Amino acid sequence: MARLLQSEEDEVIGSKGVIKKVEFVQIIAKALYSLGYKKSGAHLEEESGIPLHSSAVNMFMHQILDGNWGESVATLHSIGLKDESTVKSASFLILEQKFFELLDGGKVMDALKTLRTEIAHLCASSNQLRELSSNLVSFSHDLRAKSRPKLLQELQELLPPTIMVPERRLEQLVEQALTLQRDACVFHNSLDREISLYTDHQCGRDQIPSRTLQILEAHSDEVWFLNFSHNGKYLASSSNDQSAIIWEVGTNGEVSLKHKLSGHHKPVSSVSWSSDDGKLLTCGVEESVRCWDVSSGECLHVYEKSGPGLVSCGWSPDGKSIFSGVNDRSICMWDLDGKEVENWKGQRTLRISDLEITRDGKQIMSIFKETAILLFDREAKSERVIEEDQTITSFSLSRDNRYLLVNLVGPEIHLWNIDGDINLVAKYKGHKRTRFVIKSCFGGSEQAFVASGSEDSQVYIWHRGSEELIGKLSGHSGSVNCVSWNPVNPHMLASASDDGTIRIWGLNSHLQQHKKLQQVHSNGGSMAAAYNGRT
Amino acid sequence: MGRIFTLDLEGNVYSCKYCHTHLALFEDILSKRFLCKHGEAYLFDKVVNVMVGEKEERNMLTGMHTVVDIFCVGCGSIVGWKYEAAHEESQQYKVGKFILERWQLLP
Repeated sequence: MARLLQSEEDEVIGSKGVIKKVEFVQIIAKALYSLGYKKSGAHLEEESGIPLHSSAVNMFMHQILDGNWGESVATLHSIGLKDESTVKSASFLILEQKFFELLDGGKVMDALKTLRTEIAHLCASSNQLRELSSNLVSFSHDLRAKSRPKLLQELQELLPPTIMVPERRLEQLVEQALTLQRDACVFHNSLDREISLYTDHQCGRDQIPSRTLQILEAHSDEVWFLNFSHNGKYLASSSNDQSAIIWEVGTNGEVSLKHKLSGHHKPVSSVSWSSDDGKLLTCGVEESVRCWDVSSGECLHVYEKSGPGLVSCGWSPDGKSIFSGVNDRSICMWDLDGKEVENWKGQRTLRISDLEITRDGKQIMSIFKETAILLFDREAKSERVIEEDQTITSFSLSRDNRYLLVNLVGPEIHLWNIDGDINLVAKYKGHKRTRFVIKSCFGGSEQAFVASGSEDSQVYIWHRGSEELIGKLSGHSGSVNCVSWNPVNPHMLASASDDGTIRIWGLNSHLQQHKKLQQVHSNGGSMAAAYNGRT
Repeated sequence: MGRIFTLDLEGNVYSCKYCHTHLALFEDILSKRFLCKHGEAYLFDKVVNVMVGEKEERNMLTGMHTVVDIFCVGCGSIVGWKYEAAHEESQQYKVGKFILERWQLLP
């Protein structure tokens, strides 16, 4: 076997001179063995003259796999470990294995002797010793000892990496590099996780929706709100025209009208999809909440209070209850039949506020003061508050329930982390707002983007992590009030505008595929006349 | 024109006389001794539901000031102005405060 010269031991490779050759070859050899290429691994060790393990370690590994416990403990002491506690822990693991193997083999007296003479002084606590000895008297059908390769793996994790190269180290390093590339990719918005090792990963700006693919014209007045269903197959919009519409997203990405939901006598300010997307709630401004069946378009129930009007709506995740903010500042909960099940009085919500419920059904969120959002846990009966430095106009909850996107009068959008300690994470600026409620949302692959409407008729898109404004989409001829990013298709964005239309935005490349822009008309309704004379 | 965002004030409220949007609380009046071309005007510490116009240099009875006109978000009517800067030391107390013209307000 070729031997390394002393000078070669410090050799470095790579353009930056930070990779030690010996380590590099060793992790490659380790990777070859992990992949099952024993011959290649052995050949590499020989050809390079760089053994994967020192001879002491090799001997140690063989002794473990052969069950030569006493010898392996002795070898352990000669391997060159500096940390006494590591030696102790490793010895304990080995002798514990010996103990269990003896027990499994029925040699109870030998096991007891091992416990007394060899293990006892290694135990971290008397509890540990007691637990082990309880095995002597209890009977078990299952084998108590783990497999020897498993023991070896545990020992490997215990020993420092300089003694034994950790398993899968090369894989880990490659994954680190890929993660860094992906995080550095500002426009990253690929559905495919096919990042190749051959070149550095970098999405171009063409991965962000930037072209109008469709204009949906079925509302007869300003569109104030819209939201894709959880499964991305439907879009629901609500309007000043007192109706809501359920749209269907076809398999080719084309959006068509499914149901027009009429019945409210006030503008419809928001909608809420049930978790299974089978039902939709709509809220008439300071009026009632209606529940609709998505497939039939039928109104299943009208929720209202005699006196105060309802201002927001939300589903409980189990689909059995409905929450609603009331203009007397309270929040109430109904069962599906319309029976009021709970009522949280006091200042819980303002007249203009969103309502969000976490996926576990426990936390309810609403704007309860000019500059603060209340997050109350209805189970634990505890409350948390997000305090802002300016007036809050709207907010939305991320799908993973860990973040809140808060829209302020500024205009400014703040990203808050609400998982654990509440803290401000990022701020997004650039869009315009002076009078209206403008909503923003998360979106794109891994929710890496933030999109918002704006009073200057454009859709604004920022990169979430860097807060950089990366897109301003023009097309609408009125304030863009709300945006929603398809949760299942990171390349599809919808916007709702005062011009009475909804625009579906997609990639530039998709536009080339469409032969013409599609325009969807309501059944016998008027469209073009709707936005003459509107601001 | 979009879903107008307004805050509701509690207590004794001055509202826009055209659309009744809340503008300020009685208790936030700092002084009632201001004048505008339509008569009385009050200086307020805090005013809500207004949008601002362009900055302007205006020569007023008390000297040169930088002001922005303020408009009711509900109907767009001009309801007064906000002091952005004062050129004289004695007038600095007005900076950041709002004037609402009495004739624009209810009650």
